[in-house]
Amino acid sequence: MSDSAATGKLAPKPESRAKETLKALFANRLAVAGLVVLVLLIFVGIFGKAIAPYGINEINIADRLKPPSAAHWFGTDDLGRDVLSRVVVAARVSLQVGFIAVGFSLVVGVPIGLVAGYFRKGIDSLLMRMMDILFSFPAILLAIAILAVLGPGLGNAMIAIGLVYTPIFARITRGSVLVVSEEVYIRAARSLGARDVRLIFRHILPNVLAPIIVQTTLSLAFAILSEAALSFLGLGVQPPNPAWGRMLSEGRNFFKQAPWMGIFPGVAILLTVMAFNFIGDGLRDALDPKQKSVIESRGRSA
Amino acid sequence: MTEPILRVNDLKVRFGTKRGVAHVINGISYELHPGETLAIVGESGSGKSVGVLALMGLLREPPATVEGSVLYRGQELIGLSSKEWRSIRGKGMAMIFQDPMTSLNPVRTVGYQLIEPMALHLGITGHEAREKAIELLDLVGIPSPEARIGDYPHQLSGGMRQRVMIAMGLACDPDILIADEATTALDVTIQAQITELVAELQERLGMAVIWITHDLGVVASIADRVHVMYGGLFMEKAAVDDLYETPRHPYTEGLLGSIPMPGSDRPEKLMTIPGLPPDPVFMPDGCPFSPRCPYSDGETCGKLVPEMRTMGDSHSAACHYPIKVTQ
Repeated sequence: MSDSAATGKLAPKPESRAKETLKALFANRLAVAGLVVLVLLIFVGIFGKAIAPYGINEINIADRLKPPSAAHWFGTDDLGRDVLSRVVVAARVSLQVGFIAVGFSLVVGVPIGLVAGYFRKGIDSLLMRMMDILFSFPAILLAIAILAVLGPGLGNAMIAIGLVYTPIFARITRGSVLVVSEEVYIRAARSLGARDVRLIFRHILPNVLAPIIVQTTLSLAFAILSEAALSFLGLGVQPPNPAWGRMLSEGRNFFKQAPWMGIFPGVAILLTVMAFNFIGDGLRDALDPKQKSVIESRGRSA
Repeated sequence: MTEPILRVNDLKVRFGTKRGVAHVINGISYELHPGETLAIVGESGSGKSVGVLALMGLLREPPATVEGSVLYRGQELIGLSSKEWRSIRGKGMAMIFQDPMTSLNPVRTVGYQLIEPMALHLGITGHEAREKAIELLDLVGIPSPEARIGDYPHQLSGGMRQRVMIAMGLACDPDILIADEATTALDVTIQAQITELVAELQERLGMAVIWITHDLGVVASIADRVHVMYGGLFMEKAAVDDLYETPRHPYTEGLLGSIPMPGSDRPEKLMTIPGLPPDPVFMPDGCPFSPRCPYSDGETCGKLVPEMRTMGDSHSAACHYPIKVTQ
């Protein structure tokens, strides 16, 4: 390594980490495709009601179970409602559930992981055993159990899904904190008089963000899938409001006469989940410090 | 003589390990006066680093147990609450660590890390803090500090990073700067730059420096006094010239003999000290160096820990059979 600064010459200013990460992300075609889909989804989620050609509960018995046509692109359901309109409006619900549920897991799970990993000993055992208990149930079963206690409904479904994914964030955070809190720079910051709270939030948290960000995008996909499953089972969004899972469940009864009733919401779920997964994978590749250092050192030796 | 700024008395550190209790520091005492440079030398594992980490209250307790007394400006540090410790760390004493590659936070800018201790101890923030940070970078010899202040550690070379570490240490004008193997990870030319820098800053700012190292070459160039450490005890304490000219402890003699000296009339083969440093879990009885000592009598040496005895003007050694001075 050359001491270019010592000789008075300034090295060209390297780019910041965020910029570098974004650049790597945009170089990944799948991730870009995922981002495009996500942006579209968010747009549809926000302006769904305005875009939808029909009202979501506009019943037209004369036009029931009609295949896709110029008037009804995605066909109509058993009550003659426009499937396209319902799929479009339901996008908001799915995204909402995804973001709020994962937000809940983040807000609860990350601090638990930080505290457990930093202080260790008793508090670590206590918190992580609690997380283990949550983790030991199959995710959807636990969500159903929580909904059985709280009662069905969209809000409760968000809480249930959020709780189910909390231990993942707690574990990922704790694992990284265990490593980072032993770093010399943490000891150095302490040696200059920083207190625990400052060390945890100002010094450790920014260093463990990468895996948390990746897990967030991946969890968004799972959360949306879970909401679909819960709505499919009748525990999430209540009729007559549309949700993809619910529409899938209703479409199942008419699968032979009107496959479009189930196919289009199914495709919507598939696209959304894949979009988040691609973004998540892309972010992981862009943020992975090991892979990064390999690339960097290759560049340097060349 | 002036009142010592730091007085360490019978400091002991033990660690509970799975194999048993490790006795890492077994009772060391020393004084540090304002403005002086004290070097603590010893092999890896002799307890040098743990000794200074204990001074700063940076050991995790448990597994560590710290006993003894550390008086800083007359205030007892052992047993302080974490809040009281924080007010001393950074302001009273600051520390530079061995590896500059790992001792700066990779996700924070140089400026952030420089300003943080100022904000914590002096309440300086915003524009004023930035100005002071630039001044500090300039002080430690970083060119175009205005441009460097927004840099991340990975954008700096090893020598630059160690300069930044020193600047961080100096941010709150500490009375004592502890350099824990601060030059060991650097290449020789940068090493020389850093030691010179510290010596120069010390003169300008009048702080005391504790320099922990295993490199006797570095010691010779910067220290006023040297304490030689082995097995968690001091073997010999002396002014730097006395130590090199008339080592009184067999261990010091062994250390000095194992430095290559170009152009000297020594035999070509370097001297080595046979054996390994003692395992802190199974400390030998008596003098910790006795199993490796060529002068050991195999009797008293293996039973009785030698007392630190004065051997002349500010020169003392802990040995039953100190080496005689040949005039």
